[in-house]
Amino acid sequence: MSFKIATIADAETAAGFALAGVQDVYVHERKEETLAKLDELLASEDVGIVFITYRVAEELGFDFRRRMRTKRLLPAVLRIPDKTGWMPKVDELREIIRRTVGAEVIVKGGS
Amino acid sequence: MSTDRILQFELARLNAHLPEQRITLKDALSSPSPHVVTKEGSRHKFERGELEFLSKMTPADEWDKLRLPILIAINPKLGRGAAEITGEAEVKVISQVLGKTCRDREMVIYRPEIAVVRAKLPTTTQYFFMVG
Amino acid sequence: MAKAIGIAPTRMELLKLRQRVSLAQKGHDLLREKMDALVIEFFGIVRSIGEVRVKTMQQLSSAYRALSICFAMQGTIETYQAAREARKDVEVDISTRHVMGILVPVMEAKPVERHALARGYSVYATSSALDEASREFEKALEILIKLAELEGGARAIALELEKTKRRVNALEYVILPSLKSMVKFISMRLDEMERENFSRLKRIKAMLEARE
Repeated sequence: MSFKIATIADAETAAGFALAGVQDVYVHERKEETLAKLDELLASEDVGIVFITYRVAEELGFDFRRRMRTKRLLPAVLRIPDKTGWMPKVDELREIIRRTVGAEVIVKGGS
Repeated sequence: MSTDRILQFELARLNAHLPEQRITLKDALSSPSPHVVTKEGSRHKFERGELEFLSKMTPADEWDKLRLPILIAINPKLGRGAAEITGEAEVKVISQVLGKTCRDREMVIYRPEIAVVRAKLPTTTQYFFMVG
Repeated sequence: MAKAIGIAPTRMELLKLRQRVSLAQKGHDLLREKMDALVIEFFGIVRSIGEVRVKTMQQLSSAYRALSICFAMQGTIETYQAAREARKDVEVDISTRHVMGILVPVMEAKPVERHALARGYSVYATSSALDEASREFEKALEILIKLAELEGGARAIALELEKTKRRVNALEYVILPSLKSMVKFISMRLDEMERENFSRLKRIKAMLEARE
């Protein structure tokens, strides 16, 4: 099935994705409004992937993490670096690995 | 007891991903969209790159003997971490992937070898849990 | 204890219990094998994620760099204008695949790379900087879709792995020990009852013989 792609980011990153042809491009300004936009995307039936920058996700904090835990299979949500390349110290994937397998593993390419 | 029922349910769905019928390498290579239909009715597609790889490892006159997906059979009686490959053509191919020589109709492989096989042939191999 | 659980200490019950132990043991061994297999799959996908993440970072860096150059050469306003005007027709094909009873996403980018005329922004204002930025982001999009597919798969496998691990542990540390101790108790009780019966019969026999 065909789906649309959406992006939640700063203005520059959003522009880049718009140039690439992404339909739903949202520029983050205020937390409440961005959360509302995220909820809209998560409830939508035709969005397949949402790209959100690490920075914005971090600013949304617990509200973002909670939605990630409780969301449906689609849309997939992927965090990406913006032009500053900022990433949080904790790599979610490594956390999952530690929880499920009980071992400390370094994932190449992550933090 | 409800735990017994959960157990029966889990054991029943262990092999749900397996196909009703396997297809030969020959048929898979000549099909525009090589796949098998699983017991639940969904399609399991074979990646063309893997099929080409398999065709290079198998003499052309044996393409109709190699059945796909190759089953990695887990039998708890073999002990934890062991699995069985059966079928002459299948054994030949897996031995080559692992860099071993084996001429029998069946072979036992162990966890690190299973990992290698799964990494090399993710869509053309499947786990088969022997429940009976 | 048998009274408290409501199982009568009979041979029939003992037999049923032994069958339940057998089923639980078989279930435990098989689910543990499934757990081991899931770990193999999980690490396989994590390794792929590592490789794709490296490529993603590289491509995104190129894209951001190209965008900066575009802002510098085309102007900020013009670039944002082009971004607004660009044709927004990118789609992704999402289906699912089965891996050992779990549904794992399959995502394919519908051909993303387009050329200048198809991109939609005003051709007369076009510069190669704009095209370059668009192209770099289109490439980035393709790799990002692959990454989204892999991370979705990893998450699904991790969830199933956790669930399977919990079942294995429940069987190993709670259910099997409990069943086995019930078997032992009932077995001992039956032996005890049989001995009591046997000595009672002996006494009766002795009494009967004494009468004669």
